Amino acid sequence: MNITGLIRKEFGRIKSDKRTLILLFFIPFILILIFGLTTGGGPTAFFNAAIISRDEISCKGDFSSDSDEYDQIFISIVENNCSAFGLYKSFNSTNELEYNYSIEACKELLKNELIDVFIVLPANFSESVKNEVDPVLIYYVDGSDLNAVNSIEVAIQEPIALFRIETDLLTNFTTMAPYMEFDVPFWESQILNYAIPILLSMIIIGTTMNLTSLSIVAEGPLPRMLLTPAAKNEVIASKLIAYSVIMVLQSTEIFVMTAFFGLYCLGSLFDFYLSLIVIGFCGISMGLFISAISTTEQAANQLYIMMFIIITLFSGQFISLAPEIRPIIYFLPLSHATPLITEITLKGFSINLKYVLSLGLISLIFISLAYIAYRFKKVEV
Amino acid sequence: MSSYNAVKIMVDVQNLNVAFGNKKIIHDVSFSVKKGEIIGMFGISGAGKTTIIRVLTCQIEKKNWTGNVKVSDLTPAKKKNHSKILANIGYVPQLETLNLYFDFKPMVNVDVFASNYGMNKKEAKEIARSLFTILDIPEDTWDKSLKKMSGGEKKRVSMALGLIHRPEILFLDEPTTGVDASKRYDILSYLKKLNRQLNTTMFIITHDLEAALICDKVAILREGKLLEFEVPQKLILSLPSEGLVVRFIIEGLNNDKINIIKKFVSVQKIIRVGNEMLEVLMNNFEESLPKLIQYMMEKGIKINSMSRDVATFRRYFQLRIQEEEEKEKILM
Repeated sequence: MNITGLIRKEFGRIKSDKRTLILLFFIPFILILIFGLTTGGGPTAFFNAAIISRDEISCKGDFSSDSDEYDQIFISIVENNCSAFGLYKSFNSTNELEYNYSIEACKELLKNELIDVFIVLPANFSESVKNEVDPVLIYYVDGSDLNAVNSIEVAIQEPIALFRIETDLLTNFTTMAPYMEFDVPFWESQILNYAIPILLSMIIIGTTMNLTSLSIVAEGPLPRMLLTPAAKNEVIASKLIAYSVIMVLQSTEIFVMTAFFGLYCLGSLFDFYLSLIVIGFCGISMGLFISAISTTEQAANQLYIMMFIIITLFSGQFISLAPEIRPIIYFLPLSHATPLITEITLKGFSINLKYVLSLGLISLIFISLAYIAYRFKKVEV
Repeated sequence: MSSYNAVKIMVDVQNLNVAFGNKKIIHDVSFSVKKGEIIGMFGISGAGKTTIIRVLTCQIEKKNWTGNVKVSDLTPAKKKNHSKILANIGYVPQLETLNLYFDFKPMVNVDVFASNYGMNKKEAKEIARSLFTILDIPEDTWDKSLKKMSGGEKKRVSMALGLIHRPEILFLDEPTTGVDASKRYDILSYLKKLNRQLNTTMFIITHDLEAALICDKVAILREGKLLEFEVPQKLILSLPSEGLVVRFIIEGLNNDKINIIKKFVSVQKIIRVGNEMLEVLMNNFEESLPKLIQYMMEKGIKINSMSRDVATFRRYFQLRIQEEEEKEKILM
């Protein structure tokens, strides 16, 4: 028995299935293209801002003459120096009454979409800056626009960075992300790079699962093939090998595309590439399992959609799960795939073996289940 | 048959019983097949034809059957024999979609199947060329897409694939199903041609009773029981008057008239064929026929035309099944 013949056959079948191949290579291309083109190299949008300063301390008396009122410097930067922000209006609210009035006015501006964000500088702003105690910078955004929330969260770093340069101070700001050192710099393709971990994980798992989900159930002559000396384990192995080769090609395409559109990877590019392959293999295993247990193509398609929804929704990436069902996260590939990529690209860590092993274990479980299901599947000609 | 001299038993089935759970499918079936014989497996749906073939092709687990079965001297009862048996048999399923990769060219299909038998490409192509030639598959189609081939050509490619590894035994499931009437005989002729040239033992599972024309022996099955396993000609000769049949076209044929004819002493079997046609088998054909005609005229049965013939296997099959049904009714 010659497994290479079976492998050649699988390649032939893959080659002839133009629809799936287009899906496999076209979807990543289009999605990365869209993300790449829309994000460019800097902040993703321009935001109108209002600033309420509660800064009560007059620097002139208490601090050295070269230290101006820092709130005014910050306001000036937002007004004149930022590429991501423009100043719509500023309020000086040193007492409670004025502050309440300003808040209400800003809420109204936000509600009417005249501004995208309003920033509050606290009463001790200048004092904190001068004393190099982390100043608090509070900002309010329209929570109904999730994209704006994310974008502003990133863009707010620009005035902060400019403020530091202007004042020549190393003051920290509490508005920054908890892991600010792992953020994508604002001059990079931010949306693409923030999206990459979840985007690539979903693309790869989704498309590779789709690739193999019909590989057994839709192969008409397969039962007949079992009336040759070909064994069932060889059939599964040949599929796994052939589809893995295709998956590696897809990973290469994704790697090249993301690099072209501004992949920001603090860690090793090889680790990043390897992660894509590990994730893809997991998708292939799951697809094989779907195909092995399905009795019709329709059933396989339905199961594919169902599984994809489950692994997406319950991955913990989109919705927070109740504590009692949180353990389910550990059995889903997306839960390991996303942090695996995040750690490499944004945190600069080397490939995390914990996630690789988890994905490998999930793959192994699905391959074993696929083999068992196929082994005991009633196949008659 | 090309090789009556060959005595090698290719398939030996003794006391085969198959049951799935409490449902018994095959009841004590025994037969043996010599090398080079073509065996026709006949029976209405549910007779058990496919089940027997599935036992022979290692598709049914041993826990579901009992008896002594040998295929090429190996028993499918032992799992370790399966790959050896499968290497020695070919299978042509009813539908080409179950045997051919339509996206591939015929020669690529050959490569796929041949590789499963450990054959090298060159050897497989040589065998394929000779098989395609025997089967009159036009050479210009060998490297074209299978999708562009006609139904008959696909069927022949499917048959060639079943023989690509030169098996000793070839199983064919309904080889003439889905083929139009004019091509059915072509398919049967090709099978006979292959059998003659390659001396391959063949099992044909079919509802097409015309297939008996090329069979060395026929197996008639009903409800899991083997009613006959014999040379078709012998079965026909076992009919009254060695299968001589008189065919009447009777005006206003009805059950009353049939019952009148049945009462004639020499009449053994009557088969109604269509609205006004009747076929009658009787003892002492030559002597009885004139008497029967006179009897019918006396009874006022108007004969529009009459002819004599020899019964076909189709008639034998019908009569044999009828006989079994009648026996069953009596027992009930």
